[in-house]
Amino acid sequence: MDLSLILNTLMITTLTILIIPIALPLLSDSLKNSPTITTNTVKTAFFISLVPMTIHIYSGTENLISLWEWKFIMTFKIPISLKMDFYSLTFFPIALFVSWSILQFATWYMASDPYITKFFTYLLLFLIAMLILIVSNNLFILFIGWEGVGIMSFLLISWWHGRTEANTAALQAVLYNRIGDIGLILCMAWLACTTNTWEIQQLHSSSQMPTLPLLGLILAATGKSAQFGLHPWLPAAMEGPTPVSALLHSSTMVVAGIFLLIRTHPMFTNNQTALTLCLCLGALSTLFAATCALTQNDIKKIIAFSTSSQLGLMMVTIGLNLPQLAFLHISTHAFFKAMLFLCSGSIIHNLNGEQDIRKMGGLQKMMPTTTSCFTIGNLALMGTPFLAGFYSKDQIIESLNTSYLNTWALLLTLLATSFTAVYTIRMTVLVQTGFTRIPPLTPMNENNPAVTSPITRLALGSITAGLLITSYILPTKTPPMTMPVTIKITALVVTALGIAMALEMSKMTQTLILTKQNSFYNFSLSLGYFNPTMHRINTKTMLTGGQNIASHLIDLSWYKLLGPEGLANLQQTAAKTATQAHPGLIKAYLGTFALSTFIILMSMY
Amino acid sequence: MTTLHLSFYSAFTLSSLGLAFHRTHLVSALLCLESMMLSMYIALSMWPIQTQAPSSTLLPIFMLTFSACEAGTGLALLVASTRTHGSDHLHNFNLLQC
Repeated sequence: MDLSLILNTLMITTLTILIIPIALPLLSDSLKNSPTITTNTVKTAFFISLVPMTIHIYSGTENLISLWEWKFIMTFKIPISLKMDFYSLTFFPIALFVSWSILQFATWYMASDPYITKFFTYLLLFLIAMLILIVSNNLFILFIGWEGVGIMSFLLISWWHGRTEANTAALQAVLYNRIGDIGLILCMAWLACTTNTWEIQQLHSSSQMPTLPLLGLILAATGKSAQFGLHPWLPAAMEGPTPVSALLHSSTMVVAGIFLLIRTHPMFTNNQTALTLCLCLGALSTLFAATCALTQNDIKKIIAFSTSSQLGLMMVTIGLNLPQLAFLHISTHAFFKAMLFLCSGSIIHNLNGEQDIRKMGGLQKMMPTTTSCFTIGNLALMGTPFLAGFYSKDQIIESLNTSYLNTWALLLTLLATSFTAVYTIRMTVLVQTGFTRIPPLTPMNENNPAVTSPITRLALGSITAGLLITSYILPTKTPPMTMPVTIKITALVVTALGIAMALEMSKMTQTLILTKQNSFYNFSLSLGYFNPTMHRINTKTMLTGGQNIASHLIDLSWYKLLGPEGLANLQQTAAKTATQAHPGLIKAYLGTFALSTFIILMSMY
Repeated sequence: MTTLHLSFYSAFTLSSLGLAFHRTHLVSALLCLESMMLSMYIALSMWPIQTQAPSSTLLPIFMLTFSACEAGTGLALLVASTRTHGSDHLHNFNLLQC
């Protein structure tokens, strides 16, 4: 049996199946799309994509397909080339599994929406763009997928476009992503000029790799994966419906930046500057996001900041020169983060739109399935031993502790790990336990299988995914095997400290002590004062600079004052001065002339 | 000096005095200019008759052409200033002086 042929065929089949619900209604009027059709399409595509992954695990088959080539310039090849290696073959089933669960959940969540078919079409388009990004071997095809996910993110965040906050959030997402795109285009231009190729397998790691393209790639990842500096769009993106937050802004789109760095990792291996930059940027992002999550009261914002923090952790792993570990974290993170968002969506709908955790409580008895899976997801997020998050997160912390690196990055990451435990426990305790703080008449009903089966499926994935992936995949770099006991249990100790502190502090909220404001609380609550500072100062500087140069300098000064109007002003001044000498008294002059002539004539006789 | 010379000398002098001492209307200054031109034309056309040199018969024709142009210019100025000021009264013309 030709395994590589089966692999190629089934991967192309997966992609084609996903395109069918969008393409066929365009060709004929009698075929219409519907939410169930879209969900079943993604389910079928998931089951089909399991086969290539199994083939790869069984025999290590990898493939590179090169389709039609765009003959734009004869000396520069831009083929449509798809790379089926470990990363794309493993991510396809994971992304499709998560998307299937989210689409099934969305049939219940968006059931009252009049344009639900359009919503599902948007989600499917997003999924196709993301899969194109994953499977591409060429930076050009990757860029197509990159832009595709960016525009679908914009359309989906502003789904309820009657709301101003949704529109501004979507605009923020697009603008910040665009700034990241500058970096990607810079890298593509450098590669096209210097190495004459955009293929990923032709990226080599020379010992003197210039830092410029790597800075471009890091900028692209900062924009797309919401690292510190270009991060405000991710919490603002929670304005979109919960399925959008679950699919885009937790499992798939935001990992596109990290995935780009994983794909182009051969360029990074020898450049210590770029690696250290990734490390420090990731450590800063993870701590900043974890700090902001400590004081948030909106359940979706807490989960969004937790996503941002985990993305920082992935960036730290890239900075440690461990791309496969970062990919493992992406895979396990997809499961529990999507599940956390779906649980929060179920809670929000069942409380009739309430998103503030201070107004939830005691839900454990009222919504048992959702809250159990919520707890499982939170435990997996914290890195509880032998759930999914443990396999990736604990390995990352171990590698951090046993590497020769920047101590500051290490300390920030450990602090962020303990903060993760703090806000997770806070969220769990406030949502599920204690006295209930919800209004008495709430339409609470989670008995719909469209709600419970995706959440339980993803819970199963959160428990087993880490074990399954690490059992079947050999690591390319040897993980550290021996270390002192203290280092080995650092992650556990730090998390346990966080849990203890959070439980203690949640008892304090029931003791009716009047809280005073202090600067740390204000810093965390206002998200580090980043949004008002940067959004005002930057835009005002740019707009006044633009006005000064374009309008005041060029139009008014050069074209008018130094040109015709200045000349006219000079002439006018000269004319005004000169006309004072010429009063134009014709009669006086002519009379004087006549008198003078008469006197001369008379004096001649 | 013959009677002819007296006639155009006195015509010229009286017209120039009229140009110098015009009072209200701009058109009277233009008329005096015209009569100055006329007297000069008659004087110039007397010259070839007096000196019996036909070659200078061309000169009064030139002068007439230029005086016609000048008269046209003067009338255009008159019309323009009348259009803006409403009349050709001279004491109105320096009211808008800056």
